[in-house]
Amino acid sequence: MRTDWEGHYLDGRTPTRRRARVRLMRGGLEITPEGAATQFWPYGELRQTQGSYAGEEVRLERGGELPEVLVVADPSFLADLREISQTPSARFHDPRERSRRRQLTVLAALAVVAVVAAIYFWGIPVAAEMIAARVPIAWEVSLGRSVVDSLVPPEKRCRTDAGQRALDELVATLLAAAPPSGYTFHAQVADIKIVNAFAVPGGYIVVLRGLLEEMRSADELAGVLAHEIQHVLRRHSTKALVQHISTGLLLTAVSGDVSGVMAYGLEGARVLGQLRYGRAAEEEADALGMQLIIAAGLDPRGMIAFFEATQKEEGKGSGRPVYLSSHPGAADRIARLTRLAQGAPPPRRPALGEAEWAALRAICAKPGETR
Amino acid sequence: MHRLSFHGVGGTLFGIHIVNVFLTIVTLGIFYFWGKARVRRYLWSQTAIAGDRFAFHGTGREMLIGFLKAVLIFAVPLVVLSVVQQSAWVWGIVRMLAYLLAYVIGTVFYPLAIVGARRYRLSRSSWRGIRFSFRGPTKEFIKLFVVNAIIVSVTLGLWYPIFDTKRYAFLTANSWFGNRRFGFDGSHYQLFKSFLLALVLTPFTLGLAWFWYVAKKRRFYWGHTTFGAARYKYTGTGGAILLLMALNLVIVLGTLGLGWPWAKVRTARFLARNLTLVGPLELESIQQDAQAASATGEGLAGLLDAGGLDLG
Repeated sequence: MRTDWEGHYLDGRTPTRRRARVRLMRGGLEITPEGAATQFWPYGELRQTQGSYAGEEVRLERGGELPEVLVVADPSFLADLREISQTPSARFHDPRERSRRRQLTVLAALAVVAVVAAIYFWGIPVAAEMIAARVPIAWEVSLGRSVVDSLVPPEKRCRTDAGQRALDELVATLLAAAPPSGYTFHAQVADIKIVNAFAVPGGYIVVLRGLLEEMRSADELAGVLAHEIQHVLRRHSTKALVQHISTGLLLTAVSGDVSGVMAYGLEGARVLGQLRYGRAAEEEADALGMQLIIAAGLDPRGMIAFFEATQKEEGKGSGRPVYLSSHPGAADRIARLTRLAQGAPPPRRPALGEAEWAALRAICAKPGETR
Repeated sequence: MHRLSFHGVGGTLFGIHIVNVFLTIVTLGIFYFWGKARVRRYLWSQTAIAGDRFAFHGTGREMLIGFLKAVLIFAVPLVVLSVVQQSAWVWGIVRMLAYLLAYVIGTVFYPLAIVGARRYRLSRSSWRGIRFSFRGPTKEFIKLFVVNAIIVSVTLGLWYPIFDTKRYAFLTANSWFGNRRFGFDGSHYQLFKSFLLALVLTPFTLGLAWFWYVAKKRRFYWGHTTFGAARYKYTGTGGAILLLMALNLVIVLGTLGLGWPWAKVRTARFLARNLTLVGPLELESIQQDAQAASATGEGLAGLLDAGGLDLG
């Protein structure tokens, strides 16, 4: 055991570094800086602030806010310091504990992977479900209205009285079969030539002109509307928002102080994470949407026929894949829907009368224009 | 000539980091601030100049309190104001006032966070037992920031390099080590030409020209940063910075963020390789002269991600 060591002494008042002789005594350190008197530092008054990691110098501080400092470059000083001072393990770092610390670190790493996976696959979906269920409908409505206003400004909305009446009637037919909810639905057709439809929190459903033009019957449109209505009722967008925020928090926790370009990159990882949650929501909207169609006494083949048509055209590179991209694979989807529609009673009525369907089809036509 | 050196190892930092992540998740985020203190203590203590290591003295406790204060002072009022703005039953004039107030808070927020974080970090950093400090008046920086930000938007961004330099000059020239002040003696307009060049070259280089601009900027900033009779010298080049950033990006993305410690260490090594302090330090004339600083500014920066600052 070595009791005499070399180090550097800093007085906490000037940046002058003085070589110092250090002697380990029973109750404390005896420090003799060059050209200064010997001091005695009782072990009980010391703090070790550096030297717990490989390659670090041992740094001991004494005193309040602006302490005096002793730096000993040789890390083997620690073992003797602990031995001679006989102080409880917390005060000075024990280099022998480093291998144990390494094991704990590996365990922590494994635990992190397990916990992150558990949070991602189970925790976030469950939490999103719970939180979304408690969001007041009024909040969803005010959020939804601003989303719709920015995505589909008034001049982009198609509106003829007869067409809108037909659309509202179709939505009402479907809703009559759904359990009562606090939502007031507003369906709209937008003058955008993309094959898509979407639901926004609070009961807003937007059908784009491109999609409407692809429809061959009101039953097909009923299928799409039922799907979107279920998105609203099941609060999928609100859940997605909660999921988006919590995946972000999770990534922040895992990745430390990432800034700038890195942060953008990680944003990409977050979007990837969202896709998984998105698919689960789509499958749910499909299944419940089909139930709604059957409960409303409409023809389930309309929904299936629409997806069959989309699948056929998918390979041709028409506009349709846009509608499919955020949705489950078409073949799987048709198989699932067909299974769900099995055993359904024969349809009691068409989704819309001929005249209403024609009016709805023409909802985007300019006055005087005929289609 | 005094070279900056960095002795940290990616594996060790990863060990610290992964345990932090674990404890942060287990404590529902509370430990985050203690973890941040641990990481900084390690990074500071692995950085050395003239044979001595830096030290970080901040604690997780004060950073948590600072964060909570920042939330209370800024985030809560902003949320309340935005609710007022959207409530239909409130008088129109009140809603307009709420909007204005939110706008003012939002504008002041960013410069306040920059200055606050710098004040906190420097006050908690030391070398050879002497504390750094930041003594720039907050009001003055907010004024500089807001006025120049307006000029930037009026000039469609052309004022940006001048704004950037003024900001750097203010932050640097108000930084102290003990009782000695750092200085900045560059012209505010020097970077303008390089900025224009990078702008013109952007379409032809797919934006890569900006790496050379960043290198130029760093060489200019450091080269005009003084410490008494000594002056910094930075030797990083655009190509080297591009390579560093590209590899870091691959490391961080390829590991979904878990590889962050290695990227951090690579960046620190790069700075150490390229930064020297040339000239006499004249340490004899320096005295301890620490300044108090709260952690609220740090919390504010945490809210905004406005952190990034170079060690003065």
